Amino acid sequence: MDMNIETPEDQNEENSRRVQVRFKTKLKPPQKVPSNSIAIPSNLTRFGLSSVVNNLLQAVNPEWKSEPFDFLINGELVRMSLEQFLLAKGISAEKVLEIEYIKAVAPQKEEEPSLHDDWVSAVDGSNPGVWKAGGVCTHILEGHCGAVSSVNIIKSDGLKYVTVATASKDQTLRLWKFDAEELVNHPKKIRSFKILRGHKASVHSIAAETSGNMVCSGSWDCTISLWRTNDSDAAGNQVSIKKRKGNNQVEEPQLEGEAISTLVGHTQCVSSVVWPQQETIYSASWDHSVRTWDVEMGKDLSDIFCGKALNCIDIGGEGSALIAAGGSDPILRIWDPRKPGTSAPVFQFSSHNSWISACKWHNKSWFHLISASYDGKVMLWDLRTAWPLSVIDSHKDKVLCADWWRGDSVISGGVDSKLCVSSGVSIQ
Amino acid sequence: MRERKKSSAVEVSSVKKKKEKKTKDNNEPREQKEKEESQSIMKQQKNTTSRSKKEKQRKTTEDYESLRESELSGDEVHGTDRDVDNADDHHEEDQTDGSEGHRGVEESDSSEDEVAPRNTIGDVPLEWYKDEKHIGYDISGKKITKKERQDKLASFLANVDDSKSWRKIYDEYNDEEVELTKEEIRLVQRLLKGKAPHTDFDQYADYVDWFKYDDALHPLSNAPEPKRRFIPSKWESKKVVQYVRAIRKGLIKFDEPKEEEPKFYLLWGDDSSAAEKAKHLAYIPAPKPKLPGHEESYNPSLEYIPTQEELNSYQLMYEEDRPKFIPRRFTSLRSVPAYENAVKDSFERCMDLYLCPRVRKKRVNIDPETLKPKLPSRKDLKPYPVACYLEYKGHKGAVVSISTEASGQWFASGSTDGTVRIWEVESGRCLRVLEIGEAIQYVAWNPLPELPVLAVSVGQDVLILNTGLGNEEEQRRVKDLLHVETPTAPDDNMASIVSWLQHDKLDGIRLRHFKMVSSVEWHRRGDYLSTVMPAGESRAIFMHQLSKKLSHRIPFKLHGLPVSSVFHPTRSIFFVSTKKNIRVYDLLKQRLIKKLETGLKEVSSIAIHPAGDNLIVGSREGKLCWFDMDLSSKPYRVLKCHPKDITNVAFHRSYPLFASCSDDCTAYVFHGMVYSDLNQNPLIVPLEILRGHTSSNGRGVMDCKFHPRQPWLFTAGADSVIRLYCH
Repeated sequence: MDMNIETPEDQNEENSRRVQVRFKTKLKPPQKVPSNSIAIPSNLTRFGLSSVVNNLLQAVNPEWKSEPFDFLINGELVRMSLEQFLLAKGISAEKVLEIEYIKAVAPQKEEEPSLHDDWVSAVDGSNPGVWKAGGVCTHILEGHCGAVSSVNIIKSDGLKYVTVATASKDQTLRLWKFDAEELVNHPKKIRSFKILRGHKASVHSIAAETSGNMVCSGSWDCTISLWRTNDSDAAGNQVSIKKRKGNNQVEEPQLEGEAISTLVGHTQCVSSVVWPQQETIYSASWDHSVRTWDVEMGKDLSDIFCGKALNCIDIGGEGSALIAAGGSDPILRIWDPRKPGTSAPVFQFSSHNSWISACKWHNKSWFHLISASYDGKVMLWDLRTAWPLSVIDSHKDKVLCADWWRGDSVISGGVDSKLCVSSGVSIQ
Repeated sequence: MRERKKSSAVEVSSVKKKKEKKTKDNNEPREQKEKEESQSIMKQQKNTTSRSKKEKQRKTTEDYESLRESELSGDEVHGTDRDVDNADDHHEEDQTDGSEGHRGVEESDSSEDEVAPRNTIGDVPLEWYKDEKHIGYDISGKKITKKERQDKLASFLANVDDSKSWRKIYDEYNDEEVELTKEEIRLVQRLLKGKAPHTDFDQYADYVDWFKYDDALHPLSNAPEPKRRFIPSKWESKKVVQYVRAIRKGLIKFDEPKEEEPKFYLLWGDDSSAAEKAKHLAYIPAPKPKLPGHEESYNPSLEYIPTQEELNSYQLMYEEDRPKFIPRRFTSLRSVPAYENAVKDSFERCMDLYLCPRVRKKRVNIDPETLKPKLPSRKDLKPYPVACYLEYKGHKGAVVSISTEASGQWFASGSTDGTVRIWEVESGRCLRVLEIGEAIQYVAWNPLPELPVLAVSVGQDVLILNTGLGNEEEQRRVKDLLHVETPTAPDDNMASIVSWLQHDKLDGIRLRHFKMVSSVEWHRRGDYLSTVMPAGESRAIFMHQLSKKLSHRIPFKLHGLPVSSVFHPTRSIFFVSTKKNIRVYDLLKQRLIKKLETGLKEVSSIAIHPAGDNLIVGSREGKLCWFDMDLSSKPYRVLKCHPKDITNVAFHRSYPLFASCSDDCTAYVFHGMVYSDLNQNPLIVPLEILRGHTSSNGRGVMDCKFHPRQPWLFTAGADSVIRLYCH
C-alpha cells in the first residue's frame, strides 16, 4: 500500500523525482508511524520530512500535536534536501530508503538569566540539587582573594552535605561544604573548611575523582597536583589551625592541605584537567598538547599534539573514550585515543568565530556535546553532522563556561555576568 | 783508468772496422757469402727468421707433422751447416702437407686474382654471419645462402679419393672450395721458403755504384761545417759590447711587453650584441607600409561603405581622428579618379623614413618570476599570528606601550589617558587599573617571574610599581624591595639629576629624572634598568640598580639624540640607538665595541634577537633594517614595507618570528630564522600583514609585543584597543 502525501512544497513541482522511503524509529508507540514504504518528493528538506512524519502521526492519532523531528540516514543526520544528501553520499534512490527519525534536539525555552556581580567564570552542573529550579542562588562561598577560575562538585556518599572544590588565581584551592536539602530564603554565606596550598602560580582548573576522595588541579606553574579532600587529616594541620585562632579571624577551624603528588611534564599553563576514571587524568595545556596521566605511576601515558593552545578538555562519547578539546582557535576537535597510529582528530567542528572556552559531553548520550566560545555563542553538537544542532545566543559577550544541567538543560556563564539556562533539550 | 778507456776505444774502433767489412760482405754476391757462413751475422739472422716461420707452421699443422718438425729443429740446433741442405726437404714437406697447411697463407689474397667476389658484405668479421642461413649478399642485394656442409668423415673420405684435394682450399668468404693453380702453388712455395714470390724478382741484385770517384770541381760532401772552423768576428763582438752598454745606460729602449688579454671573460655575457656593435652599424629595415585592404578596393562590398550618418559623424571628429580613407564604390576601375593625396602621402612616407630615427628595440627575455628570490612557502613556516580573536578594551586614550609578563599570563598596557592597566591574556579581563594621572610613555614588566614589578615612564618620572600579583611571600619581598628610606642625598650633583622617592599614592618607587624619559628597559636579571632621556645630552642614559637604589650615568659619549636602548640578552653588552646609528658598548670593559650605521633618517625602535647576534631597527621612514653583527656594520637587509612610520619592532623569544608595527594601522609579521651554522645567513620571509586597527589622530599601531611563549602578537592601537593575534 503506497501513500502519497502532498506537501505544500511539491505542489508546484508535480514532476519532481520521488523516492521510496520507510520511516522507522526507536521512539515509543504514540510517536511511531506505520512501517509502510511511501513515496515522497526528493527535494524535501528536514523540515519537509518532519511535516510528513507529523502528518502520518496525525493520520493515526488525530490528537497528535506536531513536533520537530530529526532524520538519520545510515547514521548521519540529514542537513540538506534529500536529493542532495543522496547525491553527496552516493546512495541509490532506487531502493526503499530507510529513514530513522528521532526527536529534534534543541532547547525549547530560555529561562530568565540570573545576574551576578561579576563575570561568571566557571560552572558545574553535575549535581542537580545545588541550584534550585528557576536559578535561585542558594549559597555564596566566600574566602578567595583572587578570581575563582574553576569549580567542581565532589560527589559524596553522605547525601546531606554537598562538597564543592574551587580553584582560584590566588594560587590556592578551597573546599566547601554545605547542606543542599536545607531550605533557605536568602543566600547563605559560608566559609571554606579546607585550603589547599602548594601551587606556585594561579590555579586554572580543578577536577574531582569519581569517588570523591581526591581532587586534581592544573595550574600556571605547568604542573598538575593531586590533593586529598577528606577533612580528618594529619597532625601537620594543627599548626595552621592554631595560627588562625591566634589571628582571631575565624570562628571555624580552617584546615590546610598539601599536595599528595605532582604530575610534571607540561611546559606551559595546564588549562584544563578531567578525571573521568579512577586511574587516569586527562589534561590540556597551552603547550599545545593533550596528555593522559597514570595516577598511580605519576607519568604521562600518551601525548596528542594539537598545534594550538588548548583551553578546555572533556572526555565522553562512545565508551567514554573520546577526547573533545577546544582552544585558541574556533575549531572544536575530537580525538579518539583508541585509534592507533594517528594523532589527527576524528571530528572537527568549526562553526564558532572565536576561541572556545568550554566543551562538555552529555553524560548519557554518545553523540551530543556543547561548546562555548568567546564569540558569545553556545553551540550544541551532534557527532553525526558537521553543523551545530542549535546555537544558543543568549550572551552578549564572551561565554566563559558552559555545562549540562539535569540532563536536559544547558547552563552557561559569561563576561556579561549572566548565568543563562536553556532548558528542554530532549536527549533520549 | 785512462789507459783502460783508451784500450776500450781501440776495441770500439776495431769493431767498427769489422762491421764495415761485414757490410761490404753483404754487398758481395750470394755464392761468396754462403762460403763464409761460419762468421756472417747475416746468416744467423736468416736462421732466426726461418725458425720463426716454422714456429708459425707448427701451430697449424697436425701432430705428426709437428713431431717431424721438432726433429728438424733439433737438427738445426746441432749445426747450422745442415740448414741449407735441409731446405729442399722442407720444400718437399710443404708439398706433402695437408691442405690445412696452405690454408693459413692462402686465405689472405688468393681470391683476389679471381673474378670479383660474389659476396658483397665487405671487410667485416665473418662471425657476424656465423649463425645466419646466408653468408652475405650478392651484387644485386640478394642473400647468398650457405652451402650445405659435409660432415667431417665424408669430407675426409672425399679428400682421400680426390688426388687433387691437397691443392683445394676452402674460401670462407664466398663459401666455396677453390682449387689452386700450379702458378699459385709455386708462389706459395716460394713464400714459404722466404724468397720473393715472383721468380723474376731478384732479391740480391748486383750493386750498382753510381758514385764517381774521379776528381770533381767541388768536394762532394753534405756534412755541415764543423764549429771548430768558426772564427768569431772582432767587429761584431765590439758592436755587441756597444749595444750592451747602450742598453745598460738606457739609450736603447725595448718595446713594452704587450698587455695580455684578460684570461677571464664573461662566459654567459651577451656577446652577440657587443660583436655586432663593434663591427658595423646594424641595418635596420624601414617599417613596411600598410597593405591595402578590402575597403580600398574600387568596388568594396557594401558593409565597408559608410552610411550617411557615419559620414556626418566623421565631420564632428577632430582632423586627426578622422579615418584617412573613406571607401567608395565605382562601377569600373576606369572610373576611379586619380588619388589626390598620392604626392602628399609619398612625401610623408619619405619624410618618415628619412627623419624618424629607428632604433632596434632590445627585448629582455626574462621571466619575471625567476627574478623573485626563492623563499620557502608560508605554509611551512607555521605557526605565526594570523587572526585576531581577542580584543582588550577599556582604555580611553591611545595605548602607547604594552609589556608582557614572563610567564605570559598577564600583560600591562600604558595609555595617554594616564592609566596603566593589567590584563589577563586568556580571558581579556582587566585585572587592575593604576591611575597615574599623566600620559604614559613606556611600560616594562620585570623579566623575573617571581618579581611582579612594573616600570612605567611618565613625563620626567620612572615609576616602579607593584602589580599586586603573586602569593603573599612574593608580595612581602616586593614590598621590601620597593621601600625607599628618606633620601640621603650622598651626592648633590647626582641628586639634582636623579632622585629615588617613595611614590605617595601608589605602592612603588618614583625615580625623578631631570628630563623627559622616553623609554625604560630592564636587564635580564631584573635588578638593573636603563632609562633614556632624549634631551639629556651627555647625561641621556642612566642605569639604575633596584636592590641598592643606586643610579649611574653611562660614561660613554653619544653622538646624536638617543632614541632607545637595549640590553644584550646574554652578555653584558648594551645597545644605544641614536637617530642615525647604533652604538654597542661593553659594560664590563667600559668601551665601545662597534658602531652600526643604519643609513636611515630617523631610527624609532630597536629590538635584539634572543640569541644576541642579530638586531632589527625600525625607522620613521617605514624601513626596517636587519643587522647581523657578525657580518658588518651595514644592515644585512633593509625591508621597505610600511608606507608610514614604524613605531615599534619586536622579536619573539622562542619562535623564529619578528614583527613591526606602524602608523599605517598594520603590523607585519616576518619569519626571521637565525642559523647556528655561521656559514648560513639569516633567512627573512614576510609572512602576514595584520590589520584591524583604525587610525586616530594620524597614529595607527603604537606598540607590538609577542607573547613570551605562544606565537601570538599583541598590538596596541591609537584607537585605544589592544588586539591579540593568534596563530
